[in-house]
Amino acid sequence: MTSFPPRRWAALALLGVATLLPLVVRDAFVLDSLILILMWGALSAAWNVAGGYAGQVSLGHAAFFGIGAYSTALMTARFQQSPWLGLLLGVVLSIVAGGVIGYLSNRLRGPYFALSTIAFSQVLLILASRWRGFTAGSEGIPVPFRRGFWTLGLSHVAWVYVALGVALIYYGVEAWLESSRLGYQLAGVREDEDAAEALGIASRRLKIHAVTLSAAMTSVGGTLWAQYVGFVDPFYVFSIDLSIRFALNTIIGGMGTALGPFLGSILITSLETYLRATFSGLKTGFAGTYLVIYGTALILVVRFAPEGLTGLADRLGAWRARADA
Amino acid sequence: MDSARRLGRAQIDVLAQLGVSTVLLGGIYALIAVGLTLIFGIMRVVNFAHGEFLMLGMYAAFWAYDLAALDPYLVLLGAIPLFFAVGLLTYVLVMRGVIHASHNAQIFTTVGLSIALQNVALVVWTGDFRTLRPWHSSVVIRVLGTAFNLSQVVAFAIAVALTLALFAFMKWTHSGRVMRATAQDHDAATLMGIDTDRVYRLTFAIGIACVGAAGVLVSPLYAVYPTAGLQFVLLAYVVVVLGGLGDMVGAMLGSLIVAAVEVLGSYVFGVAWKEVFYFVLFIAVLVFRPAGLFGQRGAETLGV
Repeated sequence: MTSFPPRRWAALALLGVATLLPLVVRDAFVLDSLILILMWGALSAAWNVAGGYAGQVSLGHAAFFGIGAYSTALMTARFQQSPWLGLLLGVVLSIVAGGVIGYLSNRLRGPYFALSTIAFSQVLLILASRWRGFTAGSEGIPVPFRRGFWTLGLSHVAWVYVALGVALIYYGVEAWLESSRLGYQLAGVREDEDAAEALGIASRRLKIHAVTLSAAMTSVGGTLWAQYVGFVDPFYVFSIDLSIRFALNTIIGGMGTALGPFLGSILITSLETYLRATFSGLKTGFAGTYLVIYGTALILVVRFAPEGLTGLADRLGAWRARADA
Repeated sequence: MDSARRLGRAQIDVLAQLGVSTVLLGGIYALIAVGLTLIFGIMRVVNFAHGEFLMLGMYAAFWAYDLAALDPYLVLLGAIPLFFAVGLLTYVLVMRGVIHASHNAQIFTTVGLSIALQNVALVVWTGDFRTLRPWHSSVVIRVLGTAFNLSQVVAFAIAVALTLALFAFMKWTHSGRVMRATAQDHDAATLMGIDTDRVYRLTFAIGIACVGAAGVLVSPLYAVYPTAGLQFVLLAYVVVVLGGLGDMVGAMLGSLIVAAVEVLGSYVFGVAWKEVFYFVLFIAVLVFRPAGLFGQRGAETLGV
């Protein structure tokens, strides 16, 4: 019987807060912040499967987010179908696209892979914003709101639980990865691919699987986000900024850990919400303030705490254990 | 004159115009790309913030023109040393710490720098599109049935001159030789007593000076706004991957190819779709010849 590590206690505490909060607080602003924290956390967790566990750092994950968002927007607005069908379509398309990108990742390493993912998301951006006849082009698509679970027209409280459910599943996938054979194999490929192959790990197949899984998970997040926000804008859903956001949360929280993406999301999303609420009325330029902080934080974290918040907590724990002894 | 003949003449004019546009555009792209490829070739870092320095160059030209009515070509004289210093400072403050770190650390350091610079510009100068129109941007030159404006020609000429100067520097000066030696084999260069930190500092400063100069040069031709660098830097990635990351001559040829794709694509399919072509070309090159059209096979899998 292994002991229950502190990170799992932290996750359990966060789960408790997120579950109980909607029962106590009915303020739409607080609930909205909670939903966004959970959604961005889940999306960053999806990125983490490829970027953190498999070491395939993508700067184009907005491609899969956009596929999910557009699938549901077109399915509901154009074909009057259920968003759940859109979710399914998005997952299927993302698996195909993820397979292609994953195949690329076998040939390209480091910056080459990151560059190819940027190019891929840019091609989709151009398609979505210029193919006016089908996607309504750069105007974007309003996603119709129809009350009910089957049409994903939910109240804030219900959205909290939907987002929490997805976040929990994604956390579970990664907690499983951390202690499973597959997770260890991925770590092997990430740290030293040649050595992993020498030990008989099918690194190529493994990387494709990781990127494809990550793509499908991101697409689900994109679909839910589009349904929640109610509008799909090609320049947002396919933007490089969005791709960076997934990576940023994960790096700040801790790459390759189940809790990291959610810690990062709590920190970054609440900072963003707070600064927006504080500054938005004053002057448009202040909208950029939190992004300046993001960028600087990213540089500092990469430089001084490359393992992120979870890594810092580990170091602190080790230091205290030594101090006690 | 019969109609068929006139058609023939018109088509020749179109081809000539497309050819001239390609060369003019390619020369400017080359100056942007050559800094990127230089930094990669020697430091093994893809500078994801490269476009932001271009944007800063454009703003420098805009404000000098707006506040002091200084012509961009005059500003260039001050901008080159200024961006050299900016490059030095950026290296010392930001890049030095991650120069021996993993690819991921380097990627996200420059990505963080890109976000920070873009949004500093947004906060300080707002998101408005700004244009400057010096007298030479409205002078049209017509030669042999082709037309182009004076700013474009001067920008091209200066860009080519600067790029050639950089080539000469790399080939014939001691510092250039030291830089090439470091690019070839970092460890051997260290053993030969080369101070690699100094080489990196110089490399980064030169790369930023190039792209800052390019920003000043393109300022009469394109509007400037905080994310103005993005369109150019995406293009520069295509150029340097086509030419082979780190290969300076390849970057020149890559610039011409990308410019040709852009000019032809806009002419045949309309301006709206032009980017699709170079991204498709980009992905195709990454899939089939990831080390670039002229590069050594296999460089990409070393993760260099």
